Amino acid sequence: MKMANPNYSKPLPAISELNRPYWDGLKNHRLRLQQCAACATIWSPPAPLCPRCWSREIVWTDLSGRGRVNSWVIFHQSYFRGFEGELPYNVAEVELDEGPRLLTNLVGVDHAAIRAGMRVEIVFDEVTEAITLAKFRPIAE
Amino acid sequence: MAASPMLNMKDRTAIAGAGSSVYGRRLMRSPIDLAADALAAALDDAGLGRAELDGLVVSFGTPIGADGDTIAQVLGLKLRAFNQTWAHGRFTASCIQWAALMVAAGMASAVACMASVSFSGLRKPAMGGAGDAEGAREAGGSHGQDPAYGMTSPGAGAALVARRYFERYGATARDLAAIPVAFRKHAALNPGAMMREPMSIDDHQRSRFICEPLRLLDYCLINDGAACVIVTSAERARDLKKPPVYIGGMQPLPAGREEFIWAYPGFGVLQQAVADYDAGLQPVYKMAEVAPKDLDALFSYDAFSILPWIALERFGFCKPGEAAGFTAGGRIELGGALPMNTNGGLLSEGHIMAWNHQVEIVRQLRGECGARQIKDAALIQWANCYGDSLIYHR
Repeated sequence: MKMANPNYSKPLPAISELNRPYWDGLKNHRLRLQQCAACATIWSPPAPLCPRCWSREIVWTDLSGRGRVNSWVIFHQSYFRGFEGELPYNVAEVELDEGPRLLTNLVGVDHAAIRAGMRVEIVFDEVTEAITLAKFRPIAE
Repeated sequence: MAASPMLNMKDRTAIAGAGSSVYGRRLMRSPIDLAADALAAALDDAGLGRAELDGLVVSFGTPIGADGDTIAQVLGLKLRAFNQTWAHGRFTASCIQWAALMVAAGMASAVACMASVSFSGLRKPAMGGAGDAEGAREAGGSHGQDPAYGMTSPGAGAALVARRYFERYGATARDLAAIPVAFRKHAALNPGAMMREPMSIDDHQRSRFICEPLRLLDYCLINDGAACVIVTSAERARDLKKPPVYIGGMQPLPAGREEFIWAYPGFGVLQQAVADYDAGLQPVYKMAEVAPKDLDALFSYDAFSILPWIALERFGFCKPGEAAGFTAGGRIELGGALPMNTNGGLLSEGHIMAWNHQVEIVRQLRGECGARQIKDAALIQWANCYGDSLIYHR
């Protein structure tokens, strides 16, 4: 992976007690989400209890890092100075094989080639010393 | 399962007055000042004095509009009952529903429901980008904001829905042009509308992308202004200056993992399941004891052009995936079978959080709309992509 950029100027995620294990996982190149030990549901975003059965028996479970593009948009308007140099840039919603969806950026693909249902896998992007983002790239079926 | 009602709200309350400030870009007037214009106009329209107003429900205060407690202090109101939502557009009908319930419960007798906004003048809030509070919400913004990946602004959430819609149902961005084009035609007949120049489908297709697949002309206006309606009991409204506009049916605002702000359950964005959605007969029609076919017009939140499509499908005017066909060929235009947003909507009249739509509904039902008047308008619905609704009749 590339070296973390000390001049990284894009917004960084707000770390909370609820989501810290998620970001710690990405930093260690592991995509983890919460799973209910009682009913096996896996979900996002992080919650204090299982949104399905309200059990507090929760484990952070490793996921495959693979999924499919569910929807996507292309930003042509500048909202963040840090993204200005990359306009137009994509934001995609990836449905993980385990079910939950994540918002992300697709890398290594022309915008015109993005398709719903496109198979993708995670790329760990170490944007700062502390933060690694989960991005996705196309893979073969 | 719906509880059986303890109180029949059908026709128990009414809109007794409606009023608005001027709507415009960079008015450089404070939101409290604009709120004063709208409130005074609504009270005058009802024939009520300031001292007779004892309730206030405000949507959209800080950081974009005037807060209810400030309005009460600065305008010298003496209120028994006051409440306010946070700064989201989705609470327009809910505010009117709270007011109706307060009146029915005897907690207030005349309740002003309103919003004032300063999107372009003195306040200029961050709608997306670095200063946007939505993007800083724990567990993500309610329009899908996720700033670390550049996902920001309400319009991007609507663009995510639009792309998913096009992919799932095969409709196109060109089909979507029917919405802004229809509402611009209506705005051309409304002297109070901000954007009145003709717009063609090709104009829409030539406008620049903001968040693709949505273009500039899929986005509502960014402006300043205020609008207000006064809720009283139906009995009291009959004794006031103008004919009452009865609230015949109400349907509340849902929330949960199946509710993305701009898509009905089963649509399949954010954490929604992918499932067939069947509107069935929505509860608002049962309360009002009317059928969708009886409506003279439909009003809906149109901050982005995809939203009226979602509302039409959510309420069962057409099946999921059929909105493009439904809105083609002038059906939703004045003279069509189901005119929508005859004021020009947020897309062309102005963005007053759809409080301007409530004012327009009242004026249509009283026959006050001049060149854009729907002949003999008697029954009009507010039906939202969020799932909330009101049925008004004269």
